[in-house]
Amino acid sequence: MAVRPKVAFFEFTSCEGCQLTVVDSLQTHPELLEAVEIVRFREAMSEKGDDYLIAFIEGSCTRPSDEPHLKAIRERAGVVVALGACAHLGGVNAIRNRQELSELRRYVYGDKAEWYETYPARPISAVIPVDATIPGCPIDREEFIRVVKAVLQGRAPQLPDYPVCVECKLKENVCLYLRGKTCLGPIALAGCDAICPTYGDSCEACRGLIPNPNIESLKNVLAEHGLSVEQTMAKMTMFLTYQTMESEAAAHGNGKR
Amino acid sequence: MSTPLRDTLSEPSIYLPTAATIADVRAVGKREKVFTFELPKGLSLAHQPGQFVELSILGVGEAPISISSSPSRSNGTFELCVRKAGDLTGVLHTLKAGDTVGVRGPFGRGFPIERFRGKDMLFAPGGLGLAPLRSLINQVLDERGNFGRVIIAYGARDPGELLFKDELERWAERSDVELHLTVDRGDETWSGPVGVITTLFPKIEVHARNTVAVTVGPPVMYRFVLMELLGKGLSEGNIWLSLERRMKCGVGKCGHCQINHLYACQSGPSFSYAEIKHLGEAL
Amino acid sequence: MSFKVIPKAALPDWIEQMRRSQRVVGPKPLHGQHVFGEIHGAAEIDLDYPTTVIPPKKYLFPQQEDLLTYKLDGSAPSVVQDAEPTVVLGLHTCDLHALHLLDRVFEKTHVDQPYMARRAKTTLVSIECLRPCMSHSFCKSMGTLSVTDGFDLHLTDLGDDYGVDVGTPKGAALLDGLKGVREATGDDRQRVNRIMTEKWPRFPLRLEFDVTELPSLLSVSYDSKLWDELGERCLACAMCTNVCPTCYCFNVADEVELTLTAGKRYRVWDSCQLDKFATVADGHNFRAKRGARQRHRFFRKGKYQTDAFGLLGCVGCGRCAQACLVDITPVDTWNELHRPATEGTKEAAA
Repeated sequence: MAVRPKVAFFEFTSCEGCQLTVVDSLQTHPELLEAVEIVRFREAMSEKGDDYLIAFIEGSCTRPSDEPHLKAIRERAGVVVALGACAHLGGVNAIRNRQELSELRRYVYGDKAEWYETYPARPISAVIPVDATIPGCPIDREEFIRVVKAVLQGRAPQLPDYPVCVECKLKENVCLYLRGKTCLGPIALAGCDAICPTYGDSCEACRGLIPNPNIESLKNVLAEHGLSVEQTMAKMTMFLTYQTMESEAAAHGNGKR
Repeated sequence: MSTPLRDTLSEPSIYLPTAATIADVRAVGKREKVFTFELPKGLSLAHQPGQFVELSILGVGEAPISISSSPSRSNGTFELCVRKAGDLTGVLHTLKAGDTVGVRGPFGRGFPIERFRGKDMLFAPGGLGLAPLRSLINQVLDERGNFGRVIIAYGARDPGELLFKDELERWAERSDVELHLTVDRGDETWSGPVGVITTLFPKIEVHARNTVAVTVGPPVMYRFVLMELLGKGLSEGNIWLSLERRMKCGVGKCGHCQINHLYACQSGPSFSYAEIKHLGEAL
Repeated sequence: MSFKVIPKAALPDWIEQMRRSQRVVGPKPLHGQHVFGEIHGAAEIDLDYPTTVIPPKKYLFPQQEDLLTYKLDGSAPSVVQDAEPTVVLGLHTCDLHALHLLDRVFEKTHVDQPYMARRAKTTLVSIECLRPCMSHSFCKSMGTLSVTDGFDLHLTDLGDDYGVDVGTPKGAALLDGLKGVREATGDDRQRVNRIMTEKWPRFPLRLEFDVTELPSLLSVSYDSKLWDELGERCLACAMCTNVCPTCYCFNVADEVELTLTAGKRYRVWDSCQLDKFATVADGHNFRAKRGARQRHRFFRKGKYQTDAFGLLGCVGCGRCAQACLVDITPVDTWNELHRPATEGTKEAAA
């Protein structure tokens, strides 16, 4: 490739674990550095270039002062990619969206609560147009590479639109429900190669919901497997709060944004 | 004599495309371009109007596209009219003359033109439906003497979405073609009728027993157009349509295009209404 | 062809002998269930197994299979031909019946070379089931409880020996030079006959009607309310089709290398139960409702495949029923369709 496109990484409210996964992927795919030139990447270098074509943004938008930063990145970048569950869905940060914010702030920050301007956590697509998304908490490194390839080809990445059960079953894993556990695999977007169920952990739907999920039916399944209504709601809270609040709002005919 | 492309399909794999070179690209609508393709020397597409090819771009994928040129004007080339709608079509729209793509096909059953000869023809394309129907229309016009009246009732969303404007003008000038156009929403450039395609039908008188209607358009259009055509007394066997499905393989295996028990890529995509009216998944 | 006997004690030698020239795959335990996997020695295989998560069709039609590889320099793509000689050892008869159908599907009209190439290099050694493998199986109802042909070798457990039906020269060749193998005697044949007679009553008939009625039952059940009820429950997770031995729908996609200089085109199992399966370019979904998708599945299994290929699309293995989290099963579905139809007829007659 003659000219390597310049790439920058940015972080908003997040743990930066997705960027660590990017560092990780350089070990298995060192040719990434032949394909792109990284000009800004806090997890791996100290330079802070402001000239870039592709911006990977990790983290959710959680305060008013995030918005001008996001918009500035959008203006500079030709392609904006949401990196990971926080940027894609608001992530675990959105759990707070169902709470009274002022109380929450007092609980977390005590008498310094007034210093903080936090508001409900949102995916970056709620603030700026996003060209591509890499779901997951953290992202899957193979999928990161797939998305980079698509972006380099000038295409919109074709991400899986089917549930985790598909990947899990094709690997011939033992269904967690047969092991007496519960799992959100049937309604959760795949693309992670069912990594959690493969190692015996429940899927928490960190990649968000499949199109038209049958949530009501899954709630019945969870109840049959011994989960109380509260436990079921908690299970749907970790990564799905933003998506479920949006669909509730849409159902009530007052979709915000 | 050139070899039909279809005869080269079987070996070594039905999934291996043949290279085709883009000879020409021209815009025919806001989001639509017509690509003219040349096959390698000695090969011809040898298609029927209503058939489709699997168009592939290596590194991107493959998609079914109906053939827009008429066999009577093949001249060693064929045309696809493609709307920029998704991944593959987006990349295709960036290609230029001289670039190469892959093709497999032609696939499916075309319109049985031999059964149409001697009849009055009523063509009712909606929107992008003109792209496949143009193949049949031009075939009919190229053997004009074999047909009775030729009526074209074409509806599009707005004037900018009317495709093949140069050809529409030529058809309008012909005394042996009755062309009716309408748009759902007009604009300052438009002085013609405004309304959905079915608003054209009351103006069109046909001899029901001697008329074949062929309609191609979006799924939502068929129900209403069929009502009009049946209302005019056309028999179910004389109403033909093309059912768009996601024909992923083109060879009756992958399952995506199935309509009840039928594979659209094998039994269709051209069907008479009589053939599909009992199929719950057809319309 | 002929009928032979091999002592069970010869199994290690036999596997070793086959492995000299080809891959041997068979059922083996994994995390409390069974899967088909490569067998490196007799200690790994468990021929007395319940059923496997995914059927052995994966050796003929892999979950993901490369079709073409190419360079992005304008040169022509190459067809991937990577079929390797394989013995599938220990298929249940339901899975063998399923392969009969897949053979017809991939041979008909357009020969699917990827499947046929693997098929040509595969030797099928099936085994007679002597007792039901799990509560969900209903092979007896579907007529797949035994086989008369379509295998290369067919084993019957005779206690210390396996009775071996030799179906083809390819099967016979597997036994060439194996120590301990002998022609069956009249005594052996009697043992087999007794075992076959004894096994039959152990298997329940779970359909409440004769399976030959299934296609016609479905043709009058298209508008049944049952499909909507199934749609309410169905999670559209596609586990039912992904474990099915007769499902073969697939998607095709391309993947390039990071340097954008080369790539491949592959196919991967797809499912009519997934939301986007019948969605076209403009976004219209021709089978948007889960109930319609379940109907399509059960019609394919019980009618469409029979009409097109002359074989039922369901072999009664019970995998889909076992996998389903909301208890959608072929037996319950078809029995339920049969019940109101019968009652309706009675009412009409009364």
